Amino acid sequence: MATQYGGYMGKVLKIDLTTKEVSEYPFSDRERELFIGGKTMAAKILGDHLKGTEEAFSMENLLVITTGPLTGTGAPSASRFNISTLSPQTGYITSSNCGGHFGYYLKKAGLDALVLTGQCEEKTWIEIQNDNVIFHNADDLWGMKTTRTQEALDDKLRMKNGRVRKNGKICIGPAGENLVLYSSIVSNDRVFGRGGTGAVMGWMRLKAVCVSGTKEIPIYDKEKMVAHTKKWFKYLRKHPLTGDQLPRLGTAGLVSSMQMKGMLSTKNYSSGQYEDFEKVSGELLAEKYNIVNKGCLTCPIRCARTVEVAGKPVKGPELETLVLLGGGILNNDLEAVLKWNYELDELGMDTISAANTISYAMEANEKGLWNNGLKFSEIEGISQIFEDIAYRRGIGDELAEGSKRLSEKYGGKEFAIHAKGMELAAYEPRKATGLGLGYAVSNRGGCHLNGGYLVILEGLGLSINQTTYHGKADLTMMFQDLMEMISASGQCLFTSYAFFPAPLLKHPNSWYVKLVNMALPYCGAAVRLMNKYPEMLKLHLPVFHHTKGFEYATGMKMTFGHYMRCGERGYNLEREVNRRFGVNANKDALPSRLVKTLQDPKDPKSKVPLEKLKKVYYHARGWDSNGLPTEKLLKKLEII
Amino acid sequence: MVKVKLFGVARLKTGVSEFEADIDTMDELKNSVPGMTKREVKDLVILVNGKSVGRWYKFKDGDEIVMLSPAGGG
Repeated sequence: MATQYGGYMGKVLKIDLTTKEVSEYPFSDRERELFIGGKTMAAKILGDHLKGTEEAFSMENLLVITTGPLTGTGAPSASRFNISTLSPQTGYITSSNCGGHFGYYLKKAGLDALVLTGQCEEKTWIEIQNDNVIFHNADDLWGMKTTRTQEALDDKLRMKNGRVRKNGKICIGPAGENLVLYSSIVSNDRVFGRGGTGAVMGWMRLKAVCVSGTKEIPIYDKEKMVAHTKKWFKYLRKHPLTGDQLPRLGTAGLVSSMQMKGMLSTKNYSSGQYEDFEKVSGELLAEKYNIVNKGCLTCPIRCARTVEVAGKPVKGPELETLVLLGGGILNNDLEAVLKWNYELDELGMDTISAANTISYAMEANEKGLWNNGLKFSEIEGISQIFEDIAYRRGIGDELAEGSKRLSEKYGGKEFAIHAKGMELAAYEPRKATGLGLGYAVSNRGGCHLNGGYLVILEGLGLSINQTTYHGKADLTMMFQDLMEMISASGQCLFTSYAFFPAPLLKHPNSWYVKLVNMALPYCGAAVRLMNKYPEMLKLHLPVFHHTKGFEYATGMKMTFGHYMRCGERGYNLEREVNRRFGVNANKDALPSRLVKTLQDPKDPKSKVPLEKLKKVYYHARGWDSNGLPTEKLLKKLEII
Repeated sequence: MVKVKLFGVARLKTGVSEFEADIDTMDELKNSVPGMTKREVKDLVILVNGKSVGRWYKFKDGDEIVMLSPAGGG
């Protein structure tokens, strides 16, 4: 099914792994206009199939791999691609997203998306080269860790002249093969960490997918796109976050700021500050261990770190890993974090959920609920525990189920730090109540990004009141919708920082920044008006290059208001699909430690006022009191 | 005497992680950071003993000053 739009290849391929039947999945231009690509396109496809009775490990589940219209077009940080499925961790749909080469090569093969369903009869890897889909036996790859798997695949793709055909790969490691609920999918050294997508792939008996192709990615107005992209790159390179802080320090640079603001999750979220934070900080990582910065395709930010582990250069840890395997378990050995980060990627396991599951287990042991031998600050043997989880050996078999299920078995639900079954990211939300709301309502569970990432306003970028409930619900909705659309377009969420004009971040002590910090929480009504009637904003914002870039790449009309509406549609679509699986206001919850126990006993506001925030949030979203989109809203958004 | 700690971009730019200074006022602080101009220091977030203070704050012996720039990440 061809398309009139640029940026798209016009074809979605469905592969039934049980029957090996390959067919074109119909996806019309009208659907492209409404559901764009990435996680929103995937939610549409999942929503068209899932009724609410299916399970993650079942023939009815789908693994949907999507690109966005900007993926591979040369737009900045536009190498992103997405994998969505019914999550074994949450029981709801999950989406996970990473950069790298696979999305680009999927489009070079002429495809916007892959829809995988069923279960292979034997262990399999799939090769896609332009229009050809070839199924290969993967007995020899099964059991291999992720780097070794990808090296072996390159050997298989070696041409007669000895060169490896240029390709993109995704694969699982032992954790995915053994159905660890928080298994990841790995693509080069980039990772789809969250939601357990690797376990679904493992259940499908699919070890890897390799794609290559020679097709041209069409651009609607190439001349304008090239000129605009040039400006866009320049803007991002000059911006204090994307041009200075992230390249210099990577995401790990946030550790110090989080510490100062009481947001640094410590000892299984029992505190927001870690006295040894400097020993596991982004500064130390940059000064002592970072060999070179790395970036995804066409990314000017280059936030990835490269460090040395066992004598070879490997990917360094992101913020979440550094915090949760640092202060989260009272570890102050940065070299240990570098090693564990590498090992978890090799095993194919989400570092966030793995770390939080371990810290739950340590606290359960400390409180005498579960005698498992794990203790805070005792780090010897952690590598072995990760191996045991991946291969489901000993207590590893139990830890492979994640903190929610463990707390149901051993108790300690108040300190099993998850939302909807997925463990929270590294920001302690009692000093960032907007993010607390975001964690709770996020469609994929305890996610900071799908939750709206309000910490950027609550003390990291700007410094609005961290614990007020004023304005947080409306701002959360706005940033959720914005990031939803950036993600659907195929771009990295870090490009969203461009939304903040540079002077706001360059001059934090100026009168106008102080005014913004003071006034923003009280602008909820104005933000709500914008959220409710985004079409009023029939314009391109000078700081936000995404809308013009989208227009030039695709040929679709895209104003800022329309952009936000598309994001809103995506967010509501995921919620609507999750409704079928039982999501409602009761499921938008956080463990009682975060909503009932004060982080600072002297500060009565240092907890998440969740119920109050949810009420305002549901109202802002136009959802009913049970937290569900109304029929009227779904019709307005053309979801039904 | 106060203790000044630098974090984030400021620390990487100057190569200085901490220093001690005999200063009384914010103005003196802004002139005392090695490798940074007054203008650059003015654009850092400054916390004294973990709290924001006004520009007229008078430093006391033993104050710990933290300086860092706004940040974002994932």
